[in-house]
Amino acid sequence: MKKRDDPLGSLEHIVLLAVMRLDANAYGMTVRREIENATGRDISIGAVYTTLDRLESKGFVRSYTGEPTAERGGRAKRYFDLTADGMGALRNTHDVILKLSAGLKGLQPT
Amino acid sequence: MRQRGLDVLLWIVSRLVPEREREPLVGDLSEEYAVRANAASSSVALKWCLRQVCASAPPLLWANLRRVAWLSTIGVAMLAYVAVGVVEFGVNWGLSIASGHETAAYNPVGMLITFPMVVIIGYSTARLRPSAPAVLATMMVVAVTVMTLSANESVPLWYRIAYFVVGPAAAILGGAVKRLRFAPERG
Repeated sequence: MKKRDDPLGSLEHIVLLAVMRLDANAYGMTVRREIENATGRDISIGAVYTTLDRLESKGFVRSYTGEPTAERGGRAKRYFDLTADGMGALRNTHDVILKLSAGLKGLQPT
Repeated sequence: MRQRGLDVLLWIVSRLVPEREREPLVGDLSEEYAVRANAASSSVALKWCLRQVCASAPPLLWANLRRVAWLSTIGVAMLAYVAVGVVEFGVNWGLSIASGHETAAYNPVGMLITFPMVVIIGYSTARLRPSAPAVLATMMVVAVTVMTLSANESVPLWYRIAYFVVGPAAAILGGAVKRLRFAPERG
């Protein structure tokens, strides 16, 4: 079992940040779009779902089912939101990145 | 024709996920298909969907395999249980030959020899599957309980009771040793 203070994997990190940015509108496809817009990576929806599933099993996100909508053929969305443990894991990973990158030349934000 | 192609793709992807993820995943793909079909064309949207399904299949299949990891845990524990049986039989057989008396096999010496061997088996199973020693210990408790309830007179009661504690404890200890040995150091 992974502990909260273990650093996140890179995709887990990116997906958690996307969930945090999207706030109340975080579901599979919006998370995928957010990552694609930010990174230019054409990430697969399957990779997003398996990562969200893993994050949920670690207690970093929780999911709930929304109302079915017509544009989705009457299918419901599965929304995700960040838990306190997920926030802690994000902070921990962010701290690790800041510590490791501090003072390194060429890593200033562009 | 394109709607039929989309239906086939959605059906394929729906087979790759557990039931609770089926509706949201298929809904997400339908929604994005509609967005892309409106923005460009249904042909472009269908190609995008095809790429998504092809790229999604490996992680979804891998996730499915990970979900059935408990099966391999039980498999490893069963193999370990057989190994424990072989060790126990071997030790008892060796002691019988050494003492020249069949019932002499059931003595504390046999248990003293078997205990570290079961620890090693517990350790080895934990290296394959971390939860396997706990499953092995449970199997041993169940087996000894069944053996005790079946009132098999050939096995002394003290031996069965001792094995009720010693066998599972040895398996758990083996797993604990593995965890301690491979635990990451923390500052």
